[in-house]
Amino acid sequence: MTRYLLRRLLVAVPTLLLITTLGFALLHAAPGGPFDADKRMLPAIQQAIEARYHLHEPLWRQYLRYLGQLAHGDLGPSFQYRGTSVNQIIAQGLPVDAAVGLSALALALLAGGGIGVTAALREGGAWDHAAMALAAVGISVPLFVLAPLLVLIFAVTLHWLPAGDWVAGSPSHLLLPALALALPYAGYIARLMRGSTLEVLNSPFIRTAQAKGLPSHHILWHHALRPALTPLVSYLGPAFAGVLTGSIVVESIFGLPGIGRFFITAALNRDYTLVMGITVLYGTLIILCNLLADLCYAWIDPRVRLA
Amino acid sequence: MSIAARPVALAAALALGWLGGCSGAPPDGSAPAALQVGSSPANDQQLARTLDDEPRSLDPALATDQPAARVLDDLFEGLTTVDVGGRIVPGVAAAWQQSADGLTWTFHLRGDARWSNGAPVTAQDFVYAWQRVVDPHTGSQAAQNLSPIRNAPQIASGEAPAQTLGVEALDARTLRVHLVGPTPYLLELVSQPYLYPVYAPTVQAYGDAWTRPAHLVCNGPFELAERIIGNRITLVRNPRYRDAAQVRLQRVVYYVLPDRNVQVQRYLAGELQWTDSFAANEYAYLKGHLGRQVVNAPYLGIYKLDFNFDLPPFRDNWPLREALVLAIDREPLVHAMRPFYQPAYTLMPPLPGYTQPQPAWTHLSTAARHALARELYHRAGYSDAYPLRVDLDTSVQGADERHFYEAVAASWRSILGARVQVDEREFKVLIQDRELHKLPLVHGAWLGDYADPYTFLQLYYRGSGNNNGDYANAAFDALLDRAAQEHDPARRYQLFEQAETALNADAAYVPLFYYSSRHLVKPFVRGWQSNVMDRNLSRYMVVLEHQGY
Amino acid sequence: MSSQVLARLRAQRLTRIAAAVLAAIVLASLLVPWLSPYDSYTPDFALLSHPPMLAGAHVLGTDPLGRDLLVRVMWGCRISLAIGVVATLMSVLIGVSWGAIAGYAGGTTDQLMMRVVDVLYSVPFVPFVIVLTVLFGRGLWLIFLAIGAVSWLDIARIVRGQTLSLKQREFIEAARIAGVHGIGMIRRHIVPNLLGIVAVYATLTIPAVILFEALLSFLGMGVQSPMASLGSLVADGASDMQSHPHLLIVPAAFLTAIIYAFNYLGDGLRKALDPRGQP
Repeated sequence: MTRYLLRRLLVAVPTLLLITTLGFALLHAAPGGPFDADKRMLPAIQQAIEARYHLHEPLWRQYLRYLGQLAHGDLGPSFQYRGTSVNQIIAQGLPVDAAVGLSALALALLAGGGIGVTAALREGGAWDHAAMALAAVGISVPLFVLAPLLVLIFAVTLHWLPAGDWVAGSPSHLLLPALALALPYAGYIARLMRGSTLEVLNSPFIRTAQAKGLPSHHILWHHALRPALTPLVSYLGPAFAGVLTGSIVVESIFGLPGIGRFFITAALNRDYTLVMGITVLYGTLIILCNLLADLCYAWIDPRVRLA
Repeated sequence: MSIAARPVALAAALALGWLGGCSGAPPDGSAPAALQVGSSPANDQQLARTLDDEPRSLDPALATDQPAARVLDDLFEGLTTVDVGGRIVPGVAAAWQQSADGLTWTFHLRGDARWSNGAPVTAQDFVYAWQRVVDPHTGSQAAQNLSPIRNAPQIASGEAPAQTLGVEALDARTLRVHLVGPTPYLLELVSQPYLYPVYAPTVQAYGDAWTRPAHLVCNGPFELAERIIGNRITLVRNPRYRDAAQVRLQRVVYYVLPDRNVQVQRYLAGELQWTDSFAANEYAYLKGHLGRQVVNAPYLGIYKLDFNFDLPPFRDNWPLREALVLAIDREPLVHAMRPFYQPAYTLMPPLPGYTQPQPAWTHLSTAARHALARELYHRAGYSDAYPLRVDLDTSVQGADERHFYEAVAASWRSILGARVQVDEREFKVLIQDRELHKLPLVHGAWLGDYADPYTFLQLYYRGSGNNNGDYANAAFDALLDRAAQEHDPARRYQLFEQAETALNADAAYVPLFYYSSRHLVKPFVRGWQSNVMDRNLSRYMVVLEHQGY
Repeated sequence: MSSQVLARLRAQRLTRIAAAVLAAIVLASLLVPWLSPYDSYTPDFALLSHPPMLAGAHVLGTDPLGRDLLVRVMWGCRISLAIGVVATLMSVLIGVSWGAIAGYAGGTTDQLMMRVVDVLYSVPFVPFVIVLTVLFGRGLWLIFLAIGAVSWLDIARIVRGQTLSLKQREFIEAARIAGVHGIGMIRRHIVPNLLGIVAVYATLTIPAVILFEALLSFLGMGVQSPMASLGSLVADGASDMQSHPHLLIVPAAFLTAIIYAFNYLGDGLRKALDPRGQP
């Protein structure tokens, strides 16, 4: 196990490097630069700006310079927001996304997992159909419809919860965004869990257990659940990473200073450093979360050998 | 099973029923009847406003975007400032004179103007700040606006050092400005955020980080308490401001909300008292339910289309251009799609003292105008068998803009038979393609930098940085050159009117509509008036006692 | 084999209903624009954003440019269905092959292939789409390409995970002893056992793809106007929720119906394809 872990971590470094290179290349391949604006700039000023951000240098040199800074943990200054560094923006945004995202995933796991498994247990029954219909709402109604709807109901009409803004440590500001974000995940998880639980329940070893006369809840918890979790685990790996880097829709609608919205606007505004910073962050998270997911596989399904 | 077998019908019925109720009555709690407003100031003087985007920087030298300008208007004060009605009044400068030829202005600064750290505001602070703006090193896009000041263009092109800028501090309280030509709008210009003074020691000590709340030193009615990028900017009252006694608000919070619908929702929930815009398609609904809380007043900006004079089909093809200008029914179009804006027939939006030239064709009946348009279209060589095919390029701004241009394209199609395809490009791609002169017909909205016709007319001056279509008209340029030397404001305006008439006669652009300000303002917020530059400084505002939202 | 599958499919009532709904929508999306007097791009300024007039000229109302909403939505269905099906097909083909090969091969090959998945996951999507836009223009094919290029990753991961489990099963051992190896093993023994979970995942992918296209429209990179997909119609309608709810409800209802239908279809497919023949 430890050798496997070490090997994976070792492989992570070139992977991250590849991600960084690809991201950098893609970003600079897109036409337009960070300082192209509606009003034309005088050439001398344009040159001064480019010199300040080293944009006049050949690409390979800019890239090496970036890698050098990266090795020291310095993600560089933001091109869009002068005077602010990328480290600052990420340090500010990550806790927000983490709080909302992890709460949302927790809610989604509880609700979605519960609904999915119970639906599988009562397959074909009224609860099964109702539960799957409910799950489909989360999957089929886009977040940019659900979220404003929630705001409309709970904030504008009922005034129970604030319509947005971020106040650290305030549960009332956390609830609505987490709820909104949880809905699509809950829907996916419900369907996934139902599907894989059904698969497992129909397999021979479960029938053996039933034939042995074991009570059904025992079968569920001790025999069926673990193998049923494997697709969930592979889904959760990237879901974790995605949730930590924020949902642009939730952040826009609730006015949260999270990373997701920055990613999109930074790409659209060609804020190279900010996009690269978030890409590197996302890449690191994906690698870590996938590694965790693979380790969970091995733990859940003893038949899996992580060679 | 039977219920579950019709989930769609059930969901649809629920949705229809619920939302159907929504479309008629206003949401509870936002109905005007629930709100009661007193007549004396509230105890809690806090105001929550919005910005349409995150300011690029709070450094005045870099303040070319509107969100930054809004916040800086509260943090700093320039030589002049604006009053509640948007009129120019003395700011840090108590008095001023200009020389007989109008080329030299002398500003006398107040003695009691202070920075937020107690240091006095001196003329040297202005010199430092203005030199910084034109210095290419700073990378400010506002440098071009300082072109009336002597040597500014040379410094901005890198040909002269920043110290040669035509501005000097005769002593701590006297500032002398040397101009290239008579500049009647100078007082307007020096009230702009990019000409605010800057406290040199902080900039030199902290570099780009000097605008962070821990370091920022300012001289305006408010100080910077907190800035969360992408979320909000919090300002608190500055007790050291020279006129602090008149400032009633204790706290102003600017929320950064690019999504207009979110601004409206938060306003209806009572969390905001002032929004900087609202969605066009919600206008009728909001007007119906919020009445006078919906503010919309003339704003110095125009929405237009620009031709590319380097490319076919518009190069050297006056009949075609004029046909496109004529073949739009502006009144019904703007009334239907943008009821809060005004149709535009000429470049300059309404400005007090300036007479907008009216093109001759505005007197034609609709039928006659359509007929003339068709005749010109045919004269240009197009017909139903051989229609004009061209792309109209716009940047992606959302459904609002797209719908409008689709309507314009449909108008051209039905009146002329021209096939104009609306092409949305991502903003940076559009900018680049426009600079490379690849786009024949481009969306070109323009907001005035200051209340003077020059800021609009310079768009079509040959070689001007913002002359995206490469338009060149010697007669027009000559008129602008004469106006630049004209001392008498009335004659100057006449020259501008003539220049604009020449532009219209040449069908240099397609005017569409003039902007208006778009705000939602709670009735208990007072101390503001609509004005043509849409500058509403928090320093004059006050929150009255109120109950409800 | 396939007749058995079809028989099982037909035996399930919900699946029949789902298939019928989908067929009805597809038929309507083909016929209605042809039969309707209105086209999808000519504005009518007299009737902007008109609510449905069930007995009148515009059955489902009009959009912000006065265009008939029913016709717009029908076109939207066509485009969304096309995007959903084509992009999902692409991603299933690529994802299943990739994941099965990686999972079965194991060892370094597996590591390499999954690292590629990791890398592709982290590529910033927006610049990627922008570059594609510049290279290929803003056509429908670009959207297929862009979405297909990203959606196969999830399926690959799931399939690889399942393959890892399957690899250790007895029947695989048996087949190996019988002399089946490599691609033959993957094709004949691994993939059929995956079809259940893949079918479920594919039906989860179609709505995801359609919604992804909606997000692209939301960001301004989806289908070019005046063409509209259900996603872009819903995105436009969502901003009008309070003032003109029909602009949201009508396309959202069709979107929901299509997605529900695919869900039930996928479920039925799962039951029908299960090689163990369980009802």
